[in-house]
Amino acid sequence: MKWLGLIATAFTGILLLSATPYFPSFGDPNSPANAGVNGGVSVSQYYITETYTDTKVPNIVTAVLADYRGYDTMFETVVIFAAGVAIFAILRSFGGTTIPSHPTAIDTSVEGDHQRIIIGMTCKLIIPVIQLFALYVVAHGHHSPGGGFQGGVILGASFILMALAKELDTALARFSEKRYLALACVGIFIYSGFGLLCVALERNFLDYGILHRLMPATDEIMARSHSMLGVEVGVAFTVTAIMFAIYANLSSKGRLEQGF
Amino acid sequence: MILDIIAILLIVAGLVFFLGAAVGLVRFPDFYSRMHAAGKGDTLSNLLVVLGFAIHELRHFDGSADVIVFCKLLAICAFIMLTSPTATHALMDAGYEDGIEPVIGEDGENALAADRKKP
Repeated sequence: MKWLGLIATAFTGILLLSATPYFPSFGDPNSPANAGVNGGVSVSQYYITETYTDTKVPNIVTAVLADYRGYDTMFETVVIFAAGVAIFAILRSFGGTTIPSHPTAIDTSVEGDHQRIIIGMTCKLIIPVIQLFALYVVAHGHHSPGGGFQGGVILGASFILMALAKELDTALARFSEKRYLALACVGIFIYSGFGLLCVALERNFLDYGILHRLMPATDEIMARSHSMLGVEVGVAFTVTAIMFAIYANLSSKGRLEQGF
Repeated sequence: MILDIIAILLIVAGLVFFLGAAVGLVRFPDFYSRMHAAGKGDTLSNLLVVLGFAIHELRHFDGSADVIVFCKLLAICAFIMLTSPTATHALMDAGYEDGIEPVIGEDGENALAADRKKP
């Protein structure tokens, strides 16, 4: 079975690599993306000159990611969700065998406690700052590098840090399995919900402009900007939840209990 | 001008400590002394280099933009001060709990000397 996987991976890899010589070389001014097709305006040119008038978002990358190519990003989020669900499906084990107790796993001696104080205190100081910074990265994706994926990873990492520094249970008490699975679904739901809202208002899927009807005091341009933020929040939800889910399942062999 | 010189001095000092940390990491005999070199050297040299950047940012002081970057770099300094020693401590702690023995020479002489005595 492993050989079959290896052959499939090698075949796909060779197929993908064999296509690379046909790509235009990096920075080629005559490539379709830079020169346009049949004398039309090229995609890059359009993004660079028109993004701000279209969406009022100074960060072109965010605008391309969440608006012009929102469909692509939606399925990127779904891929992350699928990865988390796959980890869950493969690793998670419910009960069954009794868990052997590991008296050495949790050090309750005075010395051990003393050493945990330093790490615990530092984490207590640093985790709120990390989480605040994560929210800043999510919310500030319009104006500076950042966005849902990066912010979500930072937020997930803060929970992983909590699990590393204390016990896995401490982190799970704040971010239980039920919660992170729900949060991962909610993230996808927010993203596709924005798309479906546009369909409900008789536009194309993820064509945010029309959402100004639902948002008070916005025109079509600002509606695109605000919808991008909403979509980024959805991405951040999913990425946060899946990051922590992957860590929790991998570190405890799917039992979500300390001592493995 | 004077700020430029201070910034350059700080960055160069930071790089010197970086070099010390790197040399220590390679040359020291055991886990604990290596972590000692890496932890101390990294923290101080990171701090000095970032402080140098912060001061470099102020050299053409003409508005709020420079001050914001300066404050951000100072915040990075504060977090390095907080996290880098803790990370070293956590690694050391993990090594200790895992039972890594420090290299100690005969009658308690220092580890580096004991290492040099080896044929």
